[in-house]
Amino acid sequence: MKPLATTNMGGVRVGAPTLPLPNPPAMDRAERSPARFHATKHLAAIIAIAIAAAAGAALGAGASTPSPLIYPAEKIPLAFDHAQHAKLGATCESCHQSALTSTSAGDNLIPREAACRGCHKIDRDQPAKAVPHGQGAARCDACHVAGDARWMPSEMGTLGGSPNPPAKGPAGQSPSVLARSGLAAEPPRVELARPNLKFNHKLHAMNGIGCALCHATADMSQAPVTRADLPMMATCLACHDGKRATARCSACHITEADGRLKTKLVSLATRAAGGNGPLVPSGSLRGIDDHTETFKRDHSQAGRDEKYCLTCHKRTECIDCHGGVVRPPSIHPSDYLSLHVIDARRNTPDCSACHRAQSFCVGCHQRSGVAADPEGGIPGRRPNNPFGTGTGLKMFHPPGWARDASGAVIATPRSTSHSLAAKRNLRTCVSCHREESCLTCHSADPTRGPSFSPHGPPGSFAGTARCRFLSARNQRACLKCHAPGSMELSCD
Amino acid sequence: MRGGGRLALLALVAGSSLPARPAAAYDFTIGLRTIGQGYQVRRYAADGSNELLSRRRLTQYMDLAVFDLAPARWRGDDGDRNVLYFDASLRLDSDFGGYMLGRPGGQDEIRELKQSQLDILYAFLGGRNIGGRVDFMLGRQIHFDLVDFFAYDGGNATVRITRNFSVQGYAGTEVRGDLPLSAPIYELDGTSAGSRDPATRPNQNDMLRPLVGAAIAGGSDDGPLTARLAYRRVWSATADQLPGEPSSGVNDEKLALTARAAWRNRFYAAGGVRFNLLVAQFDDQQLMAKVRTAGRQWFTAEYSFLAPTFDGDSIWNVFASGAYRDLRGVYEVGFGPEVKAYARAFARFFTASGFAGGGSMGASWRRGRGLVRADGYFDDGYGGRKLGFDASARFAPLQTFELEGRLTGYQWRSDAWPDTAGGTNLGGVVFGTQAGGRWVLGQGVRLHLLAEDNVGTYYASQFRGIAIVEVAASL
Repeated sequence: MKPLATTNMGGVRVGAPTLPLPNPPAMDRAERSPARFHATKHLAAIIAIAIAAAAGAALGAGASTPSPLIYPAEKIPLAFDHAQHAKLGATCESCHQSALTSTSAGDNLIPREAACRGCHKIDRDQPAKAVPHGQGAARCDACHVAGDARWMPSEMGTLGGSPNPPAKGPAGQSPSVLARSGLAAEPPRVELARPNLKFNHKLHAMNGIGCALCHATADMSQAPVTRADLPMMATCLACHDGKRATARCSACHITEADGRLKTKLVSLATRAAGGNGPLVPSGSLRGIDDHTETFKRDHSQAGRDEKYCLTCHKRTECIDCHGGVVRPPSIHPSDYLSLHVIDARRNTPDCSACHRAQSFCVGCHQRSGVAADPEGGIPGRRPNNPFGTGTGLKMFHPPGWARDASGAVIATPRSTSHSLAAKRNLRTCVSCHREESCLTCHSADPTRGPSFSPHGPPGSFAGTARCRFLSARNQRACLKCHAPGSMELSCD
Repeated sequence: MRGGGRLALLALVAGSSLPARPAAAYDFTIGLRTIGQGYQVRRYAADGSNELLSRRRLTQYMDLAVFDLAPARWRGDDGDRNVLYFDASLRLDSDFGGYMLGRPGGQDEIRELKQSQLDILYAFLGGRNIGGRVDFMLGRQIHFDLVDFFAYDGGNATVRITRNFSVQGYAGTEVRGDLPLSAPIYELDGTSAGSRDPATRPNQNDMLRPLVGAAIAGGSDDGPLTARLAYRRVWSATADQLPGEPSSGVNDEKLALTARAAWRNRFYAAGGVRFNLLVAQFDDQQLMAKVRTAGRQWFTAEYSFLAPTFDGDSIWNVFASGAYRDLRGVYEVGFGPEVKAYARAFARFFTASGFAGGGSMGASWRRGRGLVRADGYFDDGYGGRKLGFDASARFAPLQTFELEGRLTGYQWRSDAWPDTAGGTNLGGVVFGTQAGGRWVLGQGVRLHLLAEDNVGTYYASQFRGIAIVEVAASL
């Protein structure tokens, strides 16, 4: 391997000091006023540009980067030009030899100093060692950069880890003085957090998977490879398709004892990197599974595949919401009891996803005085609510709903009749009423009431597929209105 | 398949010999959740005035899971765990306080108003990837697909014929509230155990309801196209059968097709259609298309059609002649990992005339240990009008402690007209506040406290308090 050139190996890109810019020239009032006028005049244009800029930012925003929950935040205060090394003939294995035997994603595969010594004649007793032009740099700060921290070894003695650990700073300061003044006594350390993944480099290497397949851009990078360069799930799925390699999520993701994926991976490191929630699908697998801000409300499509959901969730998590014991505040806001009047009438969101009308809704409506008591009332108990059609009772529905102002049953549907509401959403009706409410007027039994047909105009139901299918599958429903053997039971 | 069947049988035998197997680490997980709630419910007094009922609920969940019942050699090449397992969840829901006084009792009792209910939500022996082909569940189980969200006591087996094709079959009896230790939350709607009118055949609710179902599925999780065709039939014998009456009737019979497609990691589509064989109607139709543009931007368009249908024993399958169509559009964007925003609009068209529509938008910001979220919404049309906002925040000053708060406000006006205040329709303004915290008290022990107070047109203060204690342990 040829010795590396020292050119640009000092980490100019990383942690290079920024030059102070000259102060902008001060504007006087005369110069500022036209600008202000201009801004006012073209306010609409400015707003439009701002919106366009925001949209542009949005379009470019959030370019896919690995999740901090999978690859937690790290610190790699090193200057390293992969491209330069590649040009000089270095291969991945030249430096990352331990990758070939690594069986855990938690292994630190960054080369140790010994791997560099082959080309860089490092001497820990000489942190600022100069080397002839054309040889690999040997100064400590050629590789060990500190970003914003002030790590200046030029006048220092020796480094930690050497037989003579450093005792003085550049100007002879003690380590505590150095710390107070922001000068580091030692180069900043590489801090890697264990990825929340299973990965076996050795197995992949044995199967002939080259480094470039997953780390495609590494040899073109002029900087150390960071978590932003690590492969994302789409890369894995290119081979892990269930055919060439297993597609089971648990092949790579860490699992709980019950085999579900472990989703609570939060640590201080992940929070610092913005990952303060559980591990959730990004949408890269199915699209419809991305747990976006609206997912809690709109997950019916994703939820059709229970096996997929159960990869991460327990069944009890479904029941927590869909069992209707505790009101989820993100679905139903505070005092939803008031607001549900609107949502229930139009059925947005779908009440039946969590509640059963004939028990949950009727139970509460009856107890809270909205629903009518069972017809005829309950013996020994006074009517529990103010609404109904008897003497002294108030009307829940507006005039013309089922009876006219005189109390007579309306025979012909009007625009104000209950039939329209029933056609729009019958579930609203059955959240208070039971079948006997309807049978009062709609039963074919003349002893019960006026026997208004619910089947529409004559001939509009008999003979239809709906009639035939209902009759063939369950005639018991028909018998609630019609007598056994009645001619009306025929769909012909 | 024959090999898979033999292995499934072996799994059952192995499960039955569970007590003989020595214990190992993480063989059991026990989860306990105690939820105490105290809140007030507005009701109409007999004279039409408003009054608040106090409600006190204590809900206890008890979850038990036993893992890795199968020998280690049953695990796959990549160490797949939990090939054979048992999973159960029990719930005791006890209700007391003023809300429960004066409720219907005896034969008029409504299931949801029972004082204390002990339910087995699910309890089954399961097998996964047995012989690389078979999954099975035996016992009380819950499932959800386009056919429905449903629970039954019985058996379920799925066999993967090829990598991209599987067959499923199941049989059992539907879980209904009238059965012992059974929750009514998943039974078909349309009939009521609280009905006393003989014409509604209340005794029919006591009958067991056998069910059978089958499904075929094609495609893999990450494939470009997957589809599933499912069928289910539920029936029951006729209670107190009289001459001229059928000996049995179908309570539910549906055929559902769902499909999902993905293209170039950018375009996604999902949809489904369900044919209800009781009413000869496609009663549920859905189609969704989703596009991801540069970065984390999503555009979603969705169409759905839903016609309410009911239990086959209900007369409401005749009455329910209407339906509604929905159009929905959603735009979502992520500004890096910290900020997400969305805008959502919907329109609902009732086939019997009528319209409702509206929209909402919101954004969230996660940073470090905190989260702030704000949402606003407006909709109008059939049902009424509402305009409101919701702002919430969470912050964890410690790894073991998190604070949360929420502000809610809305103005609403319903188009219902109960005659309680001079014939005007319902409406008003509500302003609510919530504050609480979550503590990790120890390994596997968490406490969540939340208090809520609402001020509105109908009351000066409506309080709600929730306390949840969770205990999870692995043995």
